[in-house]
Amino acid sequence: MTGTGRTGGRGRPRRRDFLAMAGLGGAAVLLSGCGVGSAAPRGALRAAFGQPVTDLDPYNAATAVDEASLIVKRLVFDTLVRREGEELAPGLATDWRREGDTRWVFTLRRGVRFHDGSEVTAGDVVACLKHTQQVASAQTPLWATVTGVQAPDDHTVVFTTDGPLGSLPVNLTLLFIVPARLVADPEQKRSPVGSGPFRVTDFTPSTSVELARFDDYWGGRAELPAVSMPYIAETSTAITALRNGDVDLLWPVPPDQLPEVTGVSGVTVETVPSWTYYFNWFNCSRKPFDNPDVRRALCQAVNVPQIVEALFGRGGKQMRAPIPETVAGFAAQQPWSYDPDGARRLLEQAGLGRGFSTSMMWFDATGPLSRELAQALISAWADIGVTVEPQSIEKAMWLERLNTLDWDMNLQTNTVTTGDAAFTIGRLYTSEANRLGYANKELDAVLARAAGAPEGAERDALYGDACGTIWSDAVGLFPVTLVTGYGRAKELTGFTPAPNNQPDLAVVGRR
Amino acid sequence: MGAFLAKRLAQAVVVAFGALTLVFLIVRVVPGDPAKLIVGPDASAEQLESVRADFGLDDPLWRQYVDHLAGIVRGDLGDSWRLGGSALSNTLDRFPATLSLSLAALVLTVAVGIPLGMLCARRPGKLLDLVVSTGSLAGQAIPSFWLGIVLILIFARQLDWLPATVDGSPAAVLLPAVTLSLPFIGWLARLVRSSALEEGGKDYARTARAKGVGEGTIQYVHVGRNIAIPVVTVLGLLMGNFIANAVIIEVVFSWPGIGSLMVDAITNRDYAVVEAAILTITLAYIVLNLLVDVVYFVIDPRLTPEDA
Repeated sequence: MTGTGRTGGRGRPRRRDFLAMAGLGGAAVLLSGCGVGSAAPRGALRAAFGQPVTDLDPYNAATAVDEASLIVKRLVFDTLVRREGEELAPGLATDWRREGDTRWVFTLRRGVRFHDGSEVTAGDVVACLKHTQQVASAQTPLWATVTGVQAPDDHTVVFTTDGPLGSLPVNLTLLFIVPARLVADPEQKRSPVGSGPFRVTDFTPSTSVELARFDDYWGGRAELPAVSMPYIAETSTAITALRNGDVDLLWPVPPDQLPEVTGVSGVTVETVPSWTYYFNWFNCSRKPFDNPDVRRALCQAVNVPQIVEALFGRGGKQMRAPIPETVAGFAAQQPWSYDPDGARRLLEQAGLGRGFSTSMMWFDATGPLSRELAQALISAWADIGVTVEPQSIEKAMWLERLNTLDWDMNLQTNTVTTGDAAFTIGRLYTSEANRLGYANKELDAVLARAAGAPEGAERDALYGDACGTIWSDAVGLFPVTLVTGYGRAKELTGFTPAPNNQPDLAVVGRR
Repeated sequence: MGAFLAKRLAQAVVVAFGALTLVFLIVRVVPGDPAKLIVGPDASAEQLESVRADFGLDDPLWRQYVDHLAGIVRGDLGDSWRLGGSALSNTLDRFPATLSLSLAALVLTVAVGIPLGMLCARRPGKLLDLVVSTGSLAGQAIPSFWLGIVLILIFARQLDWLPATVDGSPAAVLLPAVTLSLPFIGWLARLVRSSALEEGGKDYARTARAKGVGEGTIQYVHVGRNIAIPVVTVLGLLMGNFIANAVIIEVVFSWPGIGSLMVDAITNRDYAVVEAAILTITLAYIVLNLLVDVVYFVIDPRLTPEDA
């Protein structure tokens, strides 16, 4: 042996020790790396939704109408009224009645317990409503006309409004009930206490939620002992996880990915028209969109059925009103006929025979195929001489410009969170809301009457009128309702696809 | 050694301060109002003002900066508006996952890159050498997010050998670690190859050959020790690269680390989390560099602090 390269007797063992330690460390690291992320408990339903759950506090403004959070909240908390398909059903309230125009009385179910063992009382409901009214959020308009809430006894809640509010029972499907002492507790963000069929056992924001069955649930035990909800951001990773059986349920499957999961062994695909839809608003306060004929020209220039079919296939459905057809208050309108020549004539009458230049803003994450949809619309408008500058921007910037009406055209998805026209039409299209520079006093009057009308033919007729005005005034182009694709393991039982993307996972079992 | 470490730590403080200042300014210069993201488009002007006041966003920038620095001194980087709770604890909760992934990638890179480089050095210009040279260029040219998706499609979807996402199983680390390490294996192999060739031509190697020592022993025992310094330097840099590159890889593989957290925080203007994440990564870089400096003395005791 040569001594060349050695650094002396003291150096050699140290180096060996170091290398040995490095080797051991590397092996240990590989093993510890393998332990990252928790495996779902045995028998758990592994359900992956397309957006992350960031927060579980039912009163957090940022997630007040956030679909991902709502999915979990509906499993952890109860509401007075629930949705079962298109109908409203008793939740914590067994029945309710309207007394006069401005008073609603709800009777609470007896013997319902929160996850911490305390009983649900009317006092909890009062505290929850008062707290949610104090929080500035997307829910604020729903509660603006509720002027009072009282608990004459432990099982009766009385709401008072400053005018007729027909949508109160629907709005209450969004009021999650927690113990009164916890309404403002920051711990509710991570470890909330509710009275729903599941309780939270582990939650890593934006990553995963682990739920365990609450055996004392008043509506009967959930079918499966646990629900594990990982968030998988990358579409191809999520599709692979479903195909390989790493997750039992995946939704929404993007329209262009439906063929990837259709016909796969062990996987069933179910679709349902959702309450989420695309619209392209015109800024009615800006020239030339202050002229309704210009807006109508742009609607006529687009071959909507062709675009919907080519881009979305069975993942989308052409719209026939400014709200999806499964939403309460929908009234079908005559679709704009594809007529580029007619569109050019309208532009000529508006003094824009040579066309004009404008812009369209959107953020890519607004919905599936948003960029492709924008490109298709822009191409169609180019054919009638309208040059549109595409402005794909970040969500934060988009929101900034949306609120200040700093845009010509705005492409986005929107969800009718309550499944009722009041949430979308009544909130977005009033002159006071001024969301798209559109003011129409007649429409305001119709919407005010619709908001106060009880469920029934009169209310439907009023929202039908509103649909007609918005559609014929062409305040926007409403091309497509998204059809939610649910990919699920065939062995699951009891699953019903939900149009609001919030399926009831408590009734899902396994063969 | 004590004075050397103190000097390095002082430099580290300056670097961390610079990084924090830059990040503070950049996230606030980028358009987008966190208050609007918090309360949404339906909020009134009063509601927006109230949220801005709650998070100190209505203060002048200099005041926010001073408060921010004071908070850091106290170990408080503020609360995350999106996730709730301390931004630093949210970040530190996720850092072990990133560290594990990065270390796994480093182990892979070393385990494959060094022997490959040595083999190429023994037969320069032969087929393996050409393949590694070309492959290393290709490896560095391929975007890592694309590589990750392709690996998922092949090994998870088509072959069903490995899970596509984190499922708690030991195999879950393999695909993201391979995605992180692949572009750098060829790079390390080329470094080892060129260093080994250079060292192999030096007097001590020639003397060993003259004494009849086998080529394998010369390469792996004598030359191997003498190329350790540049290799360790590169490994320190690599580890830093892995932590930074994990930002994209974690999103592709749903790896619950600091990278996916940071992407989400940037998109949603969660300033406190962005700052906490950048601070954590910066400190990790600094500690790694410090470790590399210390390792120099372990590898070659002849070195003095001035050499480092």
